[in-house]
Amino acid sequence: MTNFLSLKFAGPAGMGIKSAGQLFSRALIAHGFSVHDYNEYPSLVRGGHNTYQVSFSSQKIFSPHYSVDYFFSLAGGHWQEHLKEFSGDTLVFGDENFNRPPSPAKFISLPIKQIIDSVGNSLVVNTVCLGVIAFLLELDTDIFTDLLSSQYGKLAEVNLNAFHRAYDYAKNNYSPHIRHLSGKKLRSPQILVDGNEAFGWGFLKGGGDFYAAYPMTPATGALHFLAEKQKDHSIIVLHPEDELAVANIGAGAAVAGRRVAVGTSGGGFVLMDETISFCGIAEIGMVYYLVSRPGPATGLPTWTSQGDLLHAVHAGHGEFPKVVLAPGNQEESFAFGQLAINLAVRLQTPVVVVSDKFLAESSASLPNLSRHKTVVNQGKREISPKPGYRRYRLDVPDGISPYTIPGQSDGEFLSNSYEHDEFGFATEDSVVAASMNEKRFKKNATARRLVPQDLLFGPKGASKLIVSWGSPSGPILEMLNRRPLPEYNFLQVRTLWPVSARLPKIIGRYRQIIVVENNQTGQLSALLKSQFSFAPHRQINKFDGRPYYPEELYHLITGQK
Amino acid sequence: MASTFRSPVLPTWCPGCNNYLVLAGLEKAFQSQKLSPSQVAIAYDIGCAGNMADFIKCYGVHTLHGRSIPVAMGLKIANPKLTVVVVGGDGGIYGEGLNHLVSAVRMDIDITVLVSNNYLYSLTTGQTSPTSPKGAKTKSTPLGTASLPIDGVSLVKSINPKVLAKSVDCQSPPSVIAAIEEGIKHPGFALLDISQFCLAFGKQLVG
Repeated sequence: MTNFLSLKFAGPAGMGIKSAGQLFSRALIAHGFSVHDYNEYPSLVRGGHNTYQVSFSSQKIFSPHYSVDYFFSLAGGHWQEHLKEFSGDTLVFGDENFNRPPSPAKFISLPIKQIIDSVGNSLVVNTVCLGVIAFLLELDTDIFTDLLSSQYGKLAEVNLNAFHRAYDYAKNNYSPHIRHLSGKKLRSPQILVDGNEAFGWGFLKGGGDFYAAYPMTPATGALHFLAEKQKDHSIIVLHPEDELAVANIGAGAAVAGRRVAVGTSGGGFVLMDETISFCGIAEIGMVYYLVSRPGPATGLPTWTSQGDLLHAVHAGHGEFPKVVLAPGNQEESFAFGQLAINLAVRLQTPVVVVSDKFLAESSASLPNLSRHKTVVNQGKREISPKPGYRRYRLDVPDGISPYTIPGQSDGEFLSNSYEHDEFGFATEDSVVAASMNEKRFKKNATARRLVPQDLLFGPKGASKLIVSWGSPSGPILEMLNRRPLPEYNFLQVRTLWPVSARLPKIIGRYRQIIVVENNQTGQLSALLKSQFSFAPHRQINKFDGRPYYPEELYHLITGQK
Repeated sequence: MASTFRSPVLPTWCPGCNNYLVLAGLEKAFQSQKLSPSQVAIAYDIGCAGNMADFIKCYGVHTLHGRSIPVAMGLKIANPKLTVVVVGGDGGIYGEGLNHLVSAVRMDIDITVLVSNNYLYSLTTGQTSPTSPKGAKTKSTPLGTASLPIDGVSLVKSINPKVLAKSVDCQSPPSVIAAIEEGIKHPGFALLDISQFCLAFGKQLVG
């Protein structure tokens, strides 16, 4: 018996595909399952072809799967471009007379129109599908009743009616297709949260109190999430006129003592580039949340990519210390959101958190993030400055000079985009210029002690090492957990800058190195090659806007199906 | 006149530069408002005017070119108790950063923007600016500029008539001094377009 299943809803935008998918996921979480969702959508508001996929298991699930067990075509023909995802065990539902499609899957006519007509509302197609799957998986209808009631408010009654009619229809017609799920068990209460929301929670739980962003897919979710949180948290959220303003308003707020993050995707990050450099020289600690999508330029706005690694690492003209972190899953998006703002304030330098569409817009079951403890580190704050206070004092072994914030008597200083002396006043003195650069670069060594360690997974004695970073970590771990490959270990690089000094030793222990990245040119490899002798044996790349799947990676890595 | 806002750095402007007047006006306004240096935050743009950053002792940010207004907005939104001023020129405020000026005016945020408008880019040795008259022959436009000049005051008034927007001329120093104080006192957005003649490169415009 299988220990994981996948379901996919497909249809045009506007039919509530995402809301049904998320409601299904919440129902599964309430039953004690581990869930990982994935949605695909074009850059438009109505029509087109949208999908929402839910992969779930009674054991922890790290990523969606390529194979689909249940497919619901909410409008005619939306199954057609998914034939490769179907097997002989797949059930495909749609309100049409399937004329022997070229697939081993079972195609089942579901009278959606008849059911919604009997309910008297055409907007409940998605809920009809929920009724069917609830019966097929023998799920608790009370859980669905609760979720539908709270989700639909005034429309709850009609949705409940549709759910129960569909459930009864399935009971009368689809009994042979019931699947008993193995290993059901209750776990600690979980919530459904995507990478953007997780980052937002992390930022809040790191004491973040100022967020600015210009809407840009796929980072916009964090803006929406934090904007809503203004109602019950002491955070200011702004949507300024462009990313130049976003970054510079952020910098001004950070100088004035706020704990600041700004969010964007690659195109907006380019506009923030000059401000990252400014934060470097003026020693302004703030977080840049970069959620990548495929470029160049406007690229594929609603798809995924890891094409901005080197851009993030090299962001900003000139030379200055910086930290670049890459969470590999939603849980780490939370952890790094919390860590990043604390690091930025402690190190007084820009911290970039690199995510991507696949990670930021995919939801997973996680422990309730609102219950995490808040961790706020103020760094080296000068509480009572004396006359003659030197904001950029050079005699600091860790490179970090105590800071004041505007309003403090005798703490006045100039935060300067020009090279400056210990007070912040501009200077062109060669000795001071070199000393200031040296002082700032001491923060690299300090950062190395504070950044997250890279993670090594897998059994002892493995001879082959898969190296990756960011969102492919999910599919890689899912592959290793479902189909054990004892000769392989997996190294997840979590801190992209500064590169860990431990990496050469770790990597040197393996006979074969395979680098997996969701980009075309192998940017992690290029980065590691710039830091130490690194010669991977294989480079696996994917750059079509789609994430990796565990089945696909198994094939690419082992050559077997 | 001794000033608690005077920094140890001596001004580096050209002898006779009108920015000395702007500096004196700011110091006078802070003192008449009984502000201490710790209560004031100034965002300076890049350019001759923005070089005032080194000549005043208070909280200051010498920003990137064109970004003085968003930095000032960040300072003010983060801590509304601060008196926040922008010091810049026609290049930074009306050129590189014009979009930010529009946004600040729409928000009517309580900051005072001083534009030392000398109709030129002077720190870069005299190129056309957004306020140069059409046809002005400068180092970057030897055949004459093709564009009409921006009138900052009527521009911001057309966006939000509630804001304080004034044009003053350094040929009348008392009017400049008075306008700066009025701007600081105004409880909302204030733009002072401070017209001045650049002694080093201005003769291009009258030649």
